[in-house]
Amino acid sequence: MADLNVNSIGDASGGTTTTVNGYTPTASNMAGRNRIINGGMVLDQRNAGASVTITTDNTFTLDRWSTAATAASKFSVQQSTTAATGFTNSLLATSLTAYSVAAGDIFALKHTIEGFNVSDLGFGVASASTVTVSFWVRSSLTGTFGGALQNGAQNRSYPFSFTINAANTFEYKTVTIAGDTSGTWLTNNGKGLLLWFSLGTGTTYSGTANAWASGLYFQPTGSTSVVGTSGATFYITGVQLEAGSVATPFETRQYGQELALCQRYYFEERKPIYGTFSVGRVFNSKTPQFGYKFPTPMRTLPSVANAGSGCGAWYSSGSFTQLLSPAYYQEDSSKENVSTVSLIFAINASLTDNTTITVSSWAANSGLSFSAEL
Amino acid sequence: MITSAKELKYTLPDATEVVANIEIVKNGEKWTVPINEANTDYQEYLKWLAEGNTPEPADPVE
Repeated sequence: MADLNVNSIGDASGGTTTTVNGYTPTASNMAGRNRIINGGMVLDQRNAGASVTITTDNTFTLDRWSTAATAASKFSVQQSTTAATGFTNSLLATSLTAYSVAAGDIFALKHTIEGFNVSDLGFGVASASTVTVSFWVRSSLTGTFGGALQNGAQNRSYPFSFTINAANTFEYKTVTIAGDTSGTWLTNNGKGLLLWFSLGTGTTYSGTANAWASGLYFQPTGSTSVVGTSGATFYITGVQLEAGSVATPFETRQYGQELALCQRYYFEERKPIYGTFSVGRVFNSKTPQFGYKFPTPMRTLPSVANAGSGCGAWYSSGSFTQLLSPAYYQEDSSKENVSTVSLIFAINASLTDNTTITVSSWAANSGLSFSAEL
Repeated sequence: MITSAKELKYTLPDATEVVANIEIVKNGEKWTVPINEANTDYQEYLKWLAEGNTPEPADPVE
């Protein structure tokens, strides 16, 4: 085979659509082209693969994926190992009842993209970029299903449809969407762009397919309702949203890269009992304080909670006491990209000021959770 | 969905008492939320307040 040495390869028509093995390389579709984080559904920090019955709106399931649910216990979500070829995982939604969706009902899967990560798309002005959404989907049902793109304020929507032709078979779908030239689209650390996959939405929130509209729509009118059939399944993986009108192959990132991207929005650290997190001190006679460093700068100052049974503190007497109600001490709430925080706790013991404490896990598989989700 | 909320207060070294965190119960889980406009839990807390709900006051600082 002869080598070909040239200085450039151009489109015969003078355009920018030269293809190589069917792929059109452009500046926007090289590394970093997929704006979806955890589109391969490989990370599930919160639930580690356990099934979650969705009882309330905006419940986070797999990393970066949350839900809409206007009624409790109509579906569950779980990380699945049933996946399309080339993938190891998918997100599985399972209908728990045969529910007739009312006009105002919304049941759906959501992925919110931070404004910084779609700032180059130029939505809201005349030069808005076309985007393409691609994904692998499988369902026990067949028919026309729906989803939508929305802005952060949820007053601009683009309902789109896709067809599942064969039951219980992964199928590859692509949807190309002209960028929205209207509306307000955040380009900061707020909600930039919302991607929805509907599992059943009522008429109030269903709109005209394949057109931008002012309003709140989650699917085209008449889309298939997954929650309408008890036991119906909906698997999705390989979700990609990229600039341009061509769906390129799914951008597989290294696992550590994907984890770091997820940890910007949610992070938890658990240890075996007595596993050490940090060293701190006591002030105001009864307030343990210690510093905590995140593995990845978080989007903004996060909410904090005990993971499992939370933490305890060893102090100078050799006693171990449980730390209650984690809170922040003297933090700048306007800050973006938060790397370190100072935490304080309530405590059921009297301690001496400036005593050194060692902060450890209070029980097995326990520690702290931090959420800066969108 | 937030079902209850409580202010959390602490004392600065100069003895000033500060409320800088809100403890919420959301989806059955207890979270401490900083007073931070970019935090979506705090945004949800503000909506919860706008719906006419009231947080429990902070415990007195000992």
